[in-house]
Amino acid sequence: MTGTATVLQSELLPQGMDVSFKLAPAILVLGMLGTFLLIGFVFRVADTEDMWVAGRSIGNIENGMAIGANWMSAASYLGMAALIALSGFYGLAFVVGWTTGYFILLIFMAAQMRRFGKYTAPDFVGDRFNSDSARAIAAITTFLIAFVYAIGQARGMALVGLYIFGDLGFAGFSGYQAMVIFMMTITVGYLTLSGMLGATKNMAVQYVILISAFLAGMYVVGWTQGYSTVLPQIEYGMLLSELGNEFTEPFANSSPYLWIATCFSLVVGTCGLPHVLVRFYTVENERTARWSTVTGLFFICLLYLGAPAYTAFGTRLYDLNSATGTTYGDPGMSGSTADVLVVIAAQFANLPQWFVGLVAAGGIAAAIATTAGLFITGSSAVSHDIYTNLINEDATQRQQILVGRLGIIALGVLTTLAALDPAAPIAALVSYAFSLAGAVLFPMFFLGLWWENTNREGALAGMLTGLTIWVIPMINEVVPTYTTSTGDPFVPVLAQWVPAIGSALVAVPIVFAVTIGVSAMTDEPPIETKRVVRQCHSPEPMGQQQAAEDVVTDGGETPADD
Amino acid sequence: MADNNTQDSTDERTATDGGVAGHHGQSHRNTDYLNAEVNLLNPSTPFMRDHLRIIWTGFVTWAILVFGPVLLTAAMPDLMTTTMPVIEFPLHYFLVAVCGPSGALILSAWYARKRDQLDAKYGIDHTTTTESGGGGSEDAAATDGGERSQSDRDPRQDAERSDGGVSE
Repeated sequence: MTGTATVLQSELLPQGMDVSFKLAPAILVLGMLGTFLLIGFVFRVADTEDMWVAGRSIGNIENGMAIGANWMSAASYLGMAALIALSGFYGLAFVVGWTTGYFILLIFMAAQMRRFGKYTAPDFVGDRFNSDSARAIAAITTFLIAFVYAIGQARGMALVGLYIFGDLGFAGFSGYQAMVIFMMTITVGYLTLSGMLGATKNMAVQYVILISAFLAGMYVVGWTQGYSTVLPQIEYGMLLSELGNEFTEPFANSSPYLWIATCFSLVVGTCGLPHVLVRFYTVENERTARWSTVTGLFFICLLYLGAPAYTAFGTRLYDLNSATGTTYGDPGMSGSTADVLVVIAAQFANLPQWFVGLVAAGGIAAAIATTAGLFITGSSAVSHDIYTNLINEDATQRQQILVGRLGIIALGVLTTLAALDPAAPIAALVSYAFSLAGAVLFPMFFLGLWWENTNREGALAGMLTGLTIWVIPMINEVVPTYTTSTGDPFVPVLAQWVPAIGSALVAVPIVFAVTIGVSAMTDEPPIETKRVVRQCHSPEPMGQQQAAEDVVTDGGETPADD
Repeated sequence: MADNNTQDSTDERTATDGGVAGHHGQSHRNTDYLNAEVNLLNPSTPFMRDHLRIIWTGFVTWAILVFGPVLLTAAMPDLMTTTMPVIEFPLHYFLVAVCGPSGALILSAWYARKRDQLDAKYGIDHTTTTESGGGGSEDAAATDGGERSQSDRDPRQDAERSDGGVSE
């Protein structure tokens, strides 16, 4: 499935894309980034409570938009079209996995997580299982997720940046690599200046920018080329027969097993992703947490229902373009071309340069918004969970913020280095992070919230099992792309049944079994912990600043009504 | 070391009459949630039982929505790739690309509404801790004593309301 996509990986210059400096699009992007910084400056913060959860003052619609912006990264905006174009029906596993996962998150976890009232995933795991080791494993996992996820974003930003800024090519770096460095510098600079309050305000703005740009691109391309009128989300059906058979043929590029494994991984990954869960702490109460999931999913569906339509338009335009071959021909569309298909479609449709620039700017907004959320959660894992809880318990707020900012810079540098020669297309890179979240964090959240007897030993055994099952296929499939000429996995059978992109399908049941088994064979967790879990399921409303733990220790013994 | 590994909840729970003894708000107030075991497969309070019924219904629907079309396509490729009339989609493509995401959205709204109704049924009021956040639901929580949305309630639940549904 990624076979076609790895062709031309070394060059990373999209076929047919106009790589040159363009003034109007450049002003658009820089103006947009300037706006982000201005908003970040206006809502700048100095204390940690605000930095991490925005003082829990965010409402339903705004939080829904933040969920949308936070969620829809370059993988959604750009990578989705790449997968649908190159992998056909298999690409839809991503459309389905990245939307329907929110329902599972909603029914099993959103409100309970909110009641538990911890800032970060490691906080949850550490407090629920009363273990600093568990907290440390969760913090490392969180950091790894932010890192792997962000590589895909950096690749997306850089490819789109090429259209706008052209080939910068300084100091021996290729045009693509120079653009990675340029875009990541901007992202990190922006993030160190604003905390999450600024980021959340920004995210509403970013959502509006990216969804307007995407929908405008889709509608205008469809309209001007005569593919669609008012409802391209349905009208593209009539175009499908004119595209290559590979576009719709089921299981042409992947087995049904891989389809289901990928989709399952993306669903449980959605439920385990720290940067998604942290959104539930920023709302007033659990009812708002529930409804903001619904509005968030609505905002997400606006893009996801349009993505296959936009891709169909782009694929058709690519086929018709005389300067390139056909999508499924020889040479076919390259992976890096597919990753910017959304932008190229607008260019091939001969739309004005500023308009193509708008679509490109939307892609950059998507990438920066998600990278912002990821770096915040990743750096808070470092400053809050590792530094403050394990290394320096008397850390002052100044020290915490300093360590947090250093964490952001460290993530920025690591991501930049890894993105200079990425191993896979955007969406595949991001999926690795989802497999990790699904294999390690999802079972801990789920069992921790739904079975009070899950204990420390069970959690530790489960998380280590999950990490192991994630790492093995990663080594099997990703390492060869750097060390061998063909890039084939070391053990093909393993890659077939435990694919890196969908390893959670195998990992989740095993991690559940290990966690439950070990918990059942060892001591039950302390009664205080059980009471906190029970409080998470009590329908009794809780105050805005209250966490389950406060209720249990303050007045839990004698409920007010008795 | 292991002197307490029976995994039985040691503390007795109150109000485990199955929620049929009287009004739900009453049973809610009589329930000490901090002494009621949390186990997904063995709900211990009337509220959790009702809640889990909604959750499992949603979950099964969701599983069919997400994996049904793909499994059917693998099993019956010819039938599932039939071109649909008018919109000209191959059936499998439409069911996955269009019905999947929109179905999940509808299910989510359904669940959030059901949960609001459940809160109303048990007389749970979020309005003291929230502004009218909205989301388009008809919450108004339980200020009416759980009387509202009578028409939305299924008849079996009404049959359980031996006190005529007056709670305050």
